[in-house]
Amino acid sequence: MTTTRRAAVLGGNRIPFARQFGPYAEASNQDMLTAALEGLVARHGIAGERLGEVVAGAVIKHSRDFNLTREAVLGSSLAPDTPAYDVQQACGTGLEAAILVANKIALGQADSGIAGGVDSASDAPIVVPEKLRRKLLRLSRAKTPADRARAALTMRPTDLGIQVPANTEPRTGMSMGEHMAVTAERWGVTREAQDQLALASHHHLAAAYERGFFDDLMTPYLGLSRDQNLRADTTLEKLASLRTVFGRGENATMTAGNSTPLTDGASAVLLGSEDWAAAHGLKPLAWFVDGETAAVDYVSGDEGLLMAPAYAVPRMLARQGLALQDFDLYEIHEAFASTVLSTLTAWEDEDFCRERLGLDAPLGAIDRDKLNITGSSLAAGHPFAATGGRILATLAKLLQEKGSGSRGLVSICAAGGQGVVAILEAA
Amino acid sequence: MTVAVETLPSLPATAPLLTRAVLTARGRRGSEVPDRTLRVEDVRIDRHRLAAYQRLTGYAVSDTVPQPYPWVLAFPVQTALMARPDFPLALPGLVHLENRLTTHRAMDAAEPLTLDVTAGAITPHRRGRTLDVRLEARVSGELVWECDSVYLARGSGTEDAARGESPPALPDGPPAGVWRLADDLGRRYAAASGDVNPIHLHPLTARAMGFPRHIAHGMWTYARVLAALGRGSLGPSTSRVWFTKPVFLPSTVELVRGRDGDTLVAGLRSRTEPHTAHVVVSLSA
Repeated sequence: MTTTRRAAVLGGNRIPFARQFGPYAEASNQDMLTAALEGLVARHGIAGERLGEVVAGAVIKHSRDFNLTREAVLGSSLAPDTPAYDVQQACGTGLEAAILVANKIALGQADSGIAGGVDSASDAPIVVPEKLRRKLLRLSRAKTPADRARAALTMRPTDLGIQVPANTEPRTGMSMGEHMAVTAERWGVTREAQDQLALASHHHLAAAYERGFFDDLMTPYLGLSRDQNLRADTTLEKLASLRTVFGRGENATMTAGNSTPLTDGASAVLLGSEDWAAAHGLKPLAWFVDGETAAVDYVSGDEGLLMAPAYAVPRMLARQGLALQDFDLYEIHEAFASTVLSTLTAWEDEDFCRERLGLDAPLGAIDRDKLNITGSSLAAGHPFAATGGRILATLAKLLQEKGSGSRGLVSICAAGGQGVVAILEAA
Repeated sequence: MTVAVETLPSLPATAPLLTRAVLTARGRRGSEVPDRTLRVEDVRIDRHRLAAYQRLTGYAVSDTVPQPYPWVLAFPVQTALMARPDFPLALPGLVHLENRLTTHRAMDAAEPLTLDVTAGAITPHRRGRTLDVRLEARVSGELVWECDSVYLARGSGTEDAARGESPPALPDGPPAGVWRLADDLGRRYAAASGDVNPIHLHPLTARAMGFPRHIAHGMWTYARVLAALGRGSLGPSTSRVWFTKPVFLPSTVELVRGRDGDTLVAGLRSRTEPHTAHVVVSLSA
């Protein structure tokens, strides 16, 4: 196949995001993904349809959920002969899923698909310590009673205990926040600037709810109809009063207010070809123009853990022949306020752009009034794999409001030193 | 016939009522049920209990109330009605034979329900007498759900009694699922549903009630089969169930399913004796 066609974002749906151990504490990833899918299916009238594929994933996953997305499809009103698979690219999962679906549509391998993601910080798998796990496996391998007895005898009361998954990089032992604190200091990101960004996130998200922006992007779930983390009435003073949680000493700037909280939630985005959309009475909101992923060497300390999007975006811009300023809207995932600010500062920095990105001139500044204009993860919360779908659906609708030809940039950082970025253009 | 409606202040506790029903089982007689509807208004669904029920019966944890769930909510009210001194039949030993559930529109867990329980006719049966019980659930006066149950009070039967509609034949062929029902299923369902009838809890408590060992709650098997049939029973639909043979715990049963026109027919059969049907369910959406 040599020609490609345009893949359209046709709509999105998510459940409100809940704080860890909040109203979704008893809901599984499968429950939440099913709810997000089912709302999307209902709103777009595609019950009983066989879609090209459904692609989604979760970052924190139980081993029993090996076919999480397929199970969610079977629990939905989609036709049971809709194939599905899981992907996982940390916080980039949702957007990566959309790139996969959009590419298949562009190549003509699929006419329609759903990309999504879900995560629960509440219903987390609990794992036995590694030492005990190895002994238990040895016990189950044992063939004779004597072997079994020997294996059983190696177990010690001190082997007992449980491990809950933590937000820690396996190779560095540092939490994401600790990594980010290093990067924030490297780029001289101030506490004030971070609190300002957090404040804007809450106020923008609250205003978007007020004007009913999310009415056709959300399905209430378990009694929640708005993101639980949203503090519409927060102020700079309140944010400034919080103590720092990451970083050390005088240079510590990161608080619970300018870092995303652990949350539960799910999202899903419907994509399709122009023909499929027309045949189903659906209007494209935006075209999925391009996507790019990047990774950085954070292990050696060469680059900050969450800086990969700073590399992915210029590569994608070069391919598209666009400047950083050629966008009407920017959606930069707020893992931490300092992630957004470090990335923006890096793009304005001549040395970074020349030495790291190999550019003749800095990418330059963006118009901050175009950034995260309906709020982002600091206010909404960030159920890891669900963030991509939240951002895509939001941006597609915002672009449609702006009018045909308007362009939006998505940037999402991910654990493991990775980043996933994309460009949408209003249909 | 006018039926007096008596409104209870809140949902009663089931365990004391069951105890009273056991203690007052002897000496109940008569063939007329009192013309009485017991009503509880403003019944709020506890989401933790609902989630536990959904997990145990195979429904996704969601806001939509599973079709059999209002029966669970109304169970204490039904028990209260049968524990009244003027109720003619003894509650212990009543066998749930059949049930029909109709959902008029999807029910959201946030909606407060008004539940009505009315005992209906007592009818001669080959193996004793049957009792009809009707449950209704309303939201702000709108009938959203209704249920007709048939219970058997075992006793001297009437040989030529009119037979009820017999259940559809259980689909044959290979199983659609194999379910291993754990020994503690009855205890877990009792915790989730509040139905603490001793015949479901433990071999010893079941033996005290005349069963060789404990059996699965019929309403669990009904709900589990409905959940296995997909989302159909969450929206407007009617399902029926015939409880043909108890499922002893622990045991392994096979789910079989088929279709008769627009009606899904499914049920559970014994893994070891495939000709033994435990429960037959039909669902028309």
